[in-house]
Amino acid sequence: MVALTRVYHFSAAHQLANPALSPERNAALYGDCHRRHGHNYYLEVTVAGRPDPVTGMAVDLGRLDDTVNGAVVAQVDHRSLEEVPALRGVITTGESLARAFWRILAPALPTGALRRVAVVETAKNRFEYEGGVG
Amino acid sequence: MSADLAYSTRRFTFAAAHRYSVEEWSPEENERVFGRLTVAHGHNYMLDVTIRGPIDPQTGMVIDLGELKRIVGETVVERFDHADLNADALFRGRVPTTENLAIVVWELLAPKLGADRLWQVRVWEDPTLYVDYRGA
Repeated sequence: MVALTRVYHFSAAHQLANPALSPERNAALYGDCHRRHGHNYYLEVTVAGRPDPVTGMAVDLGRLDDTVNGAVVAQVDHRSLEEVPALRGVITTGESLARAFWRILAPALPTGALRRVAVVETAKNRFEYEGGVG
Repeated sequence: MSADLAYSTRRFTFAAAHRYSVEEWSPEENERVFGRLTVAHGHNYMLDVTIRGPIDPQTGMVIDLGELKRIVGETVVERFDHADLNADALFRGRVPTTENLAIVVWELLAPKLGADRLWQVRVWEDPTLYVDYRGA
């Protein structure tokens, strides 16, 4: 079994806020992150499989790219994450984005293939989600 | 009783050419499946070799990184750097995909480093694609 990771990129604005809380509470809770700002995000998608004995490929990279670019990157690139329909109700922290992207990608990829979604928000902040088990 | 295990990773680089093709297939079939990858091209590969083991109480090391550098250098880098992967006997009948390259690197290193010490091989084809293999 090999695990193949593909790195994608998007740039987006976001603003951390829980709509159930007052502006004051949100400002206190999220600090600087409560102000609208943006990141050059990296999205790492890891899928596992056995290389096909003939083609040597465990993953159809073209299909993976089409899936991730269509279902995630095109939806979020150069947008405000709070306005993305697929992220409705998501507080756009890195960990919540990783989980939201997992939930979008897992059913769109071959059953059981998805192993990890990592969201790299800045060079200092990295978030990973592996399906919530383990 | 679990040992006090730690992980040491060293990065290596090599530049190599490859192309994807299955000998038994017609050119048209290869073109249909592999597209532009049927044309010889190359990559600046990066290889991250991770060793797992107890920290030696004398040296404070999991492995002497100089030893790791020598073994990986002699076994993998000298073999594949500025080489054509398709011309290597290890890729006879085996398409040199990143997946297969990770497996081949593991197979070269495991006997030298010990399958119990070698934890993971990560092959980066470019900064957007890597494959991990842990020997099973």
